Amino acid sequence: MRLHEYEALDIFEQNRIPVPRRGVANTMHEALDIAGEIGYPVILKAQVLVGGRGLAGGIKTASSPDELKDIADSLLSSEIKGLSVRKILVCEKLEIEKELYLGITIDGYSGKPVIVVSTEGGVLIEETARTSPEKIAAIHIDPSFGYYPYQARGLLKMLGLKQQLVTAWSEIIGRLFNIVLRYESLIAEINPLAVLPNGGLFAVDAVLEVDNSALSRIRMPLPDRIDRIENPLERRGREIGVTYVDLDGDIGIISSGAGLGMASMDIIGKHMKPANFLETGGGITADQLYRCMELVMMKPNLRAIFINIYGGINPIHEGAKGVVRYIKEHKLKIPVVAKALGNRQEETWEIFRSAGVHVVVEAATEKAVDKLYELVKQ
Amino acid sequence: MSILIDDSTRVIVQGITGRIGSAQTHWMLEYGTKVLGGVTPGKGGMTVEGLPVFDSVADAVKETGANASVFFVPAPGVLDAFLETIEAGIKLIVVVPEHIPVKDVVKMRNYAIEKGVFALGPTTPGILVPGKGKMGIMPASLFAPGRVGIISRSGTLSYEFAGILSENNVGQSTVVGMGADPVVLRNLADILELFEEDTDTDAVIIVGEVGGEQEEKAAGFISRRMSKPVAAYIAGKYSPQGKRMGHAGAIVRGTSGTVKGKHEALRAAGVHVLESPIHVAQWAKKHKLR
Repeated sequence: MRLHEYEALDIFEQNRIPVPRRGVANTMHEALDIAGEIGYPVILKAQVLVGGRGLAGGIKTASSPDELKDIADSLLSSEIKGLSVRKILVCEKLEIEKELYLGITIDGYSGKPVIVVSTEGGVLIEETARTSPEKIAAIHIDPSFGYYPYQARGLLKMLGLKQQLVTAWSEIIGRLFNIVLRYESLIAEINPLAVLPNGGLFAVDAVLEVDNSALSRIRMPLPDRIDRIENPLERRGREIGVTYVDLDGDIGIISSGAGLGMASMDIIGKHMKPANFLETGGGITADQLYRCMELVMMKPNLRAIFINIYGGINPIHEGAKGVVRYIKEHKLKIPVVAKALGNRQEETWEIFRSAGVHVVVEAATEKAVDKLYELVKQ
Repeated sequence: MSILIDDSTRVIVQGITGRIGSAQTHWMLEYGTKVLGGVTPGKGGMTVEGLPVFDSVADAVKETGANASVFFVPAPGVLDAFLETIEAGIKLIVVVPEHIPVKDVVKMRNYAIEKGVFALGPTTPGILVPGKGKMGIMPASLFAPGRVGIISRSGTLSYEFAGILSENNVGQSTVVGMGADPVVLRNLADILELFEEDTDTDAVIIVGEVGGEQEEKAAGFISRRMSKPVAAYIAGKYSPQGKRMGHAGAIVRGTSGTVKGKHEALRAAGVHVLESPIHVAQWAKKHKLR
């Protein structure tokens, strides 16, 4: 689960990382009040869960109440990379001497946390990593050994920094690492980490993503995970325990694995357009697939439904019962193509066929998609 | 022979008394796997599918001589069970469950490597040696004995590729699910190495997907070490790019994790890139695989 910048900044502040004075506003009038307390100029930042927000016009400076009114109104009625802006963060504008970068993530390949620092913070950090790798330093932390401050000091020395900055920065690294542990974060990032004229360091931005699989055991207060999903179909998917991604085509997809779902999209995408990605994981029951059918059918103007499931851990014969119940109850008119192989496959095919589902019994998804294409063209 | 599972493999099932654990034990036994017992703390003395249930892994090892374990333990209990299993001296562990916190996986992975234990998962369908045995949830009907190895990041796609090959009379030596999580217990290159050394494997298929850098790293291994033909399919060409936040991952990897980037890395290593799964049949025919 990704946290909004304002939520992450609160957590950073609670963990003694210096952050700007700020407030979060739902309306232009709220923004005006916050700015009045902070004093102008202020920075207005759209709160959307997407990277590259600054370059997309989501961050603006307001020097006066009039200017703020215009900016706040336009931000609050805008969309950034397809996400509508519902809240804006109003921040004190600090005088910044230099922008640094600090990120902590889990390196999937080594299976260890890694701390990344750079003297060249800001939006172009990934480019800096490619073009000037000497300006980036990283250290992996052995999980059984743990993190110690000397590791951060050594890391920063690699960048050739003065001791005063090394001391201040390594303290912030320690605090951010502590957040990573307590919030089981997959990524925690401060970009930029601003150096003020007096040498102080401030987190001017905050990224924090919490491991969904750990949510039930994190003892810190966290916002609701489902509420923040903006798309109603995707939110419904989360409620029924499946992964649903809303797309702009007209072929509904239900698959029993992420890889199979992606491959189905790849193959369907050659001649048709998927309306969604839906992956059940290992939890198929008759009721779950009934609800998946309901969810997929919430999308208007579907031309067909493609079901691609395997009976390894999943009882596909149960799943088929749910699909068939939906088709019969709703007198579904559009074609349904199903490829279902594995344990109890013959039984599954019989159930599907009882409701007129087109069953494909070959392993290759391409063959099932050929059938789908033939039906859609009719 | 095969990799990871052979005639000397003696399996216990952890979480054997659960709904999925007992159902999968049935399928594993039916496939001829040497499953000798199971573990569920507090349920020692029970029997499941005619097998004895023990309270601890140490008891199970002592009584059955087990040297391998497959997990159907609920996600919150996996780390504890995993460490217990390593302490009990088991050298091969298959972790089927999904939704295990990454922090736990990190601990499991590093401890297993330190102790010389070969572990797969989490979120893996396990290992299947056609006609011999299986640890995990792979549905037997799709597999046939032969000489092609498969390694898959996705469970369901490992079935799909085995199924396509079997329908075309090309069998598999061993099929390995490496797990779908961002951190896995063993990397792709480690499994490739086993196939390269296996005298009963003539070629290997990698089934990858968008994201991470397993395939890119494997490409490096393949160009240095692999003599056998390798084909690869990467799922996710038309998948919407995630609305990624933060840069640290991309900086550390130095790669984009896109399908295109993976294709380029694999091609440069001499791997045959499959644009669609069904093309694996032609590739197998061309190399006269069986």
